[in-house]
Amino acid sequence: MEQKPILVVDDDPDAVEIVGTFLESRGYRVASAPDGRQALAKVDELRPALVLLDVMMPGMDGWEVCRIIKNHPDYGDTRVVMLTARGEFADKQEGLRCGADDYIVKPIRLDELGQKVERNLEARRRAQ
Amino acid sequence: MRILARVREDQLRRALQKIAETRGAVFVDAEPLSEEELGDALRAAPDVVVVEAGEVDDLARLRAETNGAGSALVIACHDSDRCETVALANADDWILLPASDRELDIRLETALQRAEGVRFPRRTEETIDRLRFQELLYDRLTGFPTLPVMIDRARELLDRRGELTILYIHYVWYSKIEEIYGWQKLDDVLESTAAAVRDFYARECDDGDNLMMVAHVADDDFILFTHVPAEPGVAERRLKTLTTRLEGFLRSRMEREHGEEIAALVGVYVGTATIFRNPKIRTERLIYRAIREAADAARGAEEWERTLKISDLKATLREGAVFMEYHPIIVTQTEEIYGFEALARGTRRSLRSPEVLFQVAEEANLIWELSRLLRQRAVQGILPNLKQGQFLFLNVDPHDFDDPEFRNLRGEDLGIDDPGRIVLEITERTAIKDYARFQEYLTAFRERGFRFAVDDAGSGYAGLGSIANLAPDFIKLDISLISNIDSNFLKQNLVETIVGFAESQGAQVVAEGIERREEFETVRDLGVHLTQGFLFHKPSAGVPE
Repeated sequence: MEQKPILVVDDDPDAVEIVGTFLESRGYRVASAPDGRQALAKVDELRPALVLLDVMMPGMDGWEVCRIIKNHPDYGDTRVVMLTARGEFADKQEGLRCGADDYIVKPIRLDELGQKVERNLEARRRAQ
Repeated sequence: MRILARVREDQLRRALQKIAETRGAVFVDAEPLSEEELGDALRAAPDVVVVEAGEVDDLARLRAETNGAGSALVIACHDSDRCETVALANADDWILLPASDRELDIRLETALQRAEGVRFPRRTEETIDRLRFQELLYDRLTGFPTLPVMIDRARELLDRRGELTILYIHYVWYSKIEEIYGWQKLDDVLESTAAAVRDFYARECDDGDNLMMVAHVADDDFILFTHVPAEPGVAERRLKTLTTRLEGFLRSRMEREHGEEIAALVGVYVGTATIFRNPKIRTERLIYRAIREAADAARGAEEWERTLKISDLKATLREGAVFMEYHPIIVTQTEEIYGFEALARGTRRSLRSPEVLFQVAEEANLIWELSRLLRQRAVQGILPNLKQGQFLFLNVDPHDFDDPEFRNLRGEDLGIDDPGRIVLEITERTAIKDYARFQEYLTAFRERGFRFAVDDAGSGYAGLGSIANLAPDFIKLDISLISNIDSNFLKQNLVETIVGFAESQGAQVVAEGIERREEFETVRDLGVHLTQGFLFHKPSAGVPE
């Protein structure tokens, strides 16, 4: 069975590079997108298992992208993990409203990233 | 399929007509039309437009218009020199005349495919535009076409049959299903309703060709275009029967698929209007007018039922026709019963659901009266069976605080010695307008010994700060935080935060809506003090052993 990729969405190319390299070194397939629109196009094309989604992006923000993915019947089992600069209660409530599955507060710590990616993929496998 | 042709040459026109006939397509002869009328005809979005070179002055404009209408453009030329013009006009295909019927047919097909490619580009970066575009034309949930698409088909049906009947299906949500059960539930309900309408029609009308639907014209309403064949005089009665049966069918299907609880929150009303072809009136206007008429009829039916419900409520209050159910709240660690939440229902069928009961009371300005009755009943119904140390949770409507009788409520008014056994639940969903005064009321209640719970907490209507200001004894978590919490880490984190916060405030956290063992284990591990849900107990009229 072909492993479904992880999609990293961030307008900061350095962040994409770091996160992507780290995940690849752990054996995941990785794809990336620099903004919300292209992220949605990639989701439609690749049907990733998990999307790491930056909240603060020009144009369509991460919340909106998350809402569209989670609202769409075809992408229902895609896990969405938000990357947010602020981990305040109200931010997480926003995540709840958008249907996000998890979140990581920036700056990203790679061990936390690895652990959260794995637990979400595991939850997805269990649900199938 | 629709073919629109603007050609002078008879032979070509006849050939195109023949192709249309064999393909079962509609042939529109645009030869006698002025350029302006041609523009109008294009707005009807034919699948393919055939023009003879020289027949249209402004080919670039025609190309733009056909693109706008999503039509394929084919240009017929008499000599190969003309083909240069064709290239400039960026047509989907061209024909060098004279051409055989077979060639014509193939050219039309190619053009259609090319135009299809333009309408739905396959390139990745444009996928999102395609999805958006489809979203405009077809409703995501129901898969039904949206109104602009349908108007065209309705016109076609009207032209063909000479008459058109419109059924307007009007939905009334007695309570905000979305807020209580989450948007997924609302989506589920809408989706299954659409399927139910389809099933109903598959069963009632043999001729599937007659039926077309539009979704979401206003809020959550549907429109259905159909044709009810019958002799004059009989049609009206047939339509009436159809309407009643459709309403009944949708209601029973809703009960079966989503349970009585949800079905009770949804009102379905069908209104109808029939129009006949009238060449003197623009068809769109006829159709829109009929939609309005059908919508008015549906709303009239709703209005009528509302009046009936209000008179039912008055009788309910007179006769005290309510009954109470008690939903146990258990201690998470020991699974022992900690207390009960009282839930009210009307005994009359139309007022069975508590949400409907309260909404009707609010409309009829009878909230205080209803609340007074329910408070008395709730306490009387359980007091003899309430064990030492158990609590009774009572829902309080925000309007109750305007009622002087409620504001001065004492334990003895309810027939209890210790008001500390009563927990008043106040929902976080309702915005509190006058905060200072509200705090004052709460303080007065607390001084008299009552306890408080903030209901639906964490749903995002108020932050932790405003919950802290109310200093509640209990925080009841919103159901959106609980469903599938075992697989959602964001929810787990939010609940963990609220538990930590509650403990610092000396409050206890209640998780409502626990339906699965995994959900229970997750909230238990997160330190949630109390739980309530179908996993352990359903609400019942008495006290479980």
